Amino acid sequence: MLRWWIGRLVGERYKGRFPLGTFLINISGSLVIGYLSVRFHVDWHNRHGHGMVLNAFVLTGVLGGYTTFSSMQLDAAGLAAKQDTRLVLSYLLLSVATGLLAALAGAALARLQG
Amino acid sequence: MQPGFAVLLVFVGGAVGAVAREFLMLLVPTPSHGFPLDILVANVVASLLIGFSAGRYNRRAINAGWHLTVTTGAMGGLSTFSSFVFASSVLMKASMTGALVAAAYVVISLVMGYAAVIVGMTIGGRATATRKQDAWKSP
Repeated sequence: MLRWWIGRLVGERYKGRFPLGTFLINISGSLVIGYLSVRFHVDWHNRHGHGMVLNAFVLTGVLGGYTTFSSMQLDAAGLAAKQDTRLVLSYLLLSVATGLLAALAGAALARLQG
Repeated sequence: MQPGFAVLLVFVGGAVGAVAREFLMLLVPTPSHGFPLDILVANVVASLLIGFSAGRYNRRAINAGWHLTVTTGAMGGLSTFSSFVFASSVLMKASMTGALVAAAYVVISLVMGYAAVIVGMTIGGRATATRKQDAWKSP
């Protein structure tokens, strides 16, 4: 929902070839998941089965619904169809690298706050 | 399409996709070395289906409403980027082996996800069932 709305907002303002909407959504979602997981004291390995309801709701439900892996791949395939191999590779790698940094930054920020 | 209706479609699709993923995460076991197999499965399956939907849509076999429900809604809910990078970041910080597992996880996810979209688009982009084809041919 929120994703669709941001995607549209960005889509209206930016007309370039880079799939900026999905990119921004995924990066911001990564930042939030890193931050919240430390706040909630989530151990990733305890996440399965016996996770708390709040975890399941926010991490899987809200953020899982907000960020998207499949749209990223579909964007990539669309770019590839336009023979834009360099842009495809840089989009995927940049998404993952920035997403990782965002998750780490979110976790670090939460720890700073104690 | 009315914007309100589009929002409803995305909402319904997203709910279905997110619930499907929670079930999938409960079903798929996590191997002992921490490789996030469940999220990999969810992302690859969603990539396959989003490709299929795009293929159908390009062929005009489904309308824009269905396409929006499936892609932005359901597959957006089933696949996830935040859990994907978060699991990688946790693995990376854990140990040297963890960092290697994380690197393998990222590469496998990207390659398999991309391949899944292409496969899905190819299957989805094929001609519709014979009955419909005949209907197009005979005016």
